[in-house]
Amino acid sequence: MSADEFDPFVERAFARSPRMADEALFAAGIEAKLASSTRLRTLALTLAGLTGGIVAVRQSLSSAVDLGTAAVTAPVRSLGQGLQNANQDAQLSMQPVLDQVGLSDMVFGSMGGMSLFWIGTAALVAVAIAGAMKLSQEI
Amino acid sequence: MTKALIDLHDVELAALAAAGGRREFGELVRRHGSAVRGLLRRMGAQPSEADDVAQDAFLQAFEKCAEFRGEGTFASWVKRIAARLYLKRKARNARYVAEVETEETAPLVDTPGLVDLDEALKALSETERLCVSLCHGAGLSHPEIAAALKLPLGTVKSHVKRGLDKLRVRLQPEPASYGRTSHVG
Repeated sequence: MSADEFDPFVERAFARSPRMADEALFAAGIEAKLASSTRLRTLALTLAGLTGGIVAVRQSLSSAVDLGTAAVTAPVRSLGQGLQNANQDAQLSMQPVLDQVGLSDMVFGSMGGMSLFWIGTAALVAVAIAGAMKLSQEI
Repeated sequence: MTKALIDLHDVELAALAAAGGRREFGELVRRHGSAVRGLLRRMGAQPSEADDVAQDAFLQAFEKCAEFRGEGTFASWVKRIAARLYLKRKARNARYVAEVETEETAPLVDTPGLVDLDEALKALSETERLCVSLCHGAGLSHPEIAAALKLPLGTVKSHVKRGLDKLRVRLQPEPASYGRTSHVG
């Protein structure tokens, strides 16, 4: 057999691969991995959406946009109230920590120490979500 | 009426998988899983390592399914992904680098008649086996192999040639060897 004939012969030999006894198990394993990866990604996206939504609501409330009392429904009002209370609670609990590290009086442009704290927290959450998404893709 | 998965062509299944169809992709894995795992074993991977790499390759293929246009076969496409993943893993371990200069060859068995490819590949050195499998099993070109293995193109070509020469001896014994045995006595 010449080299010209032998090359395709070897390619055909490589193309013929014996079927493995556990091929159904192997496929099931991959399907399970895909399912868990999809679940993890859905969870990460949901978390990201929730975080983004909360930040957006909080920002719209704190930017003193007049939504008009007639347009604001009771659930939205109560949600806004809850977020404001949570913000105040967080501010009260974080204030001593910020005082201790000397960040309470820190001013960056028009933003105070508390604003910087929230921005930092949001950045950390974003990094954590990005990490989780990357991990889910690798899995 | 929708067709059963088994009736669908690979390209149709890949299109459905690209839209997130896990069951459709599972069918592709069932069809081609053995071929991909077999190729990795032929490249020199241990069975468990071959399965790990094949699994990673299929998971990566699922992510990239939209890129599969059906120009070649789905099996060849996944084989290329698997081969590259295996090379990356090997490069991390840097085992083949030390092997390049050595010329360790399993002794040829003086058995007339055809032997199967898996058996014949054992006669090749690790690098020859890798180069031949990448070229004829995964369909990579010589320059692609050279880039993947970080070897000079000429070295890759000579590894492939030497590997094929050895395979030729194993897979197609010289007619003379038959003649020798038949003339004895």
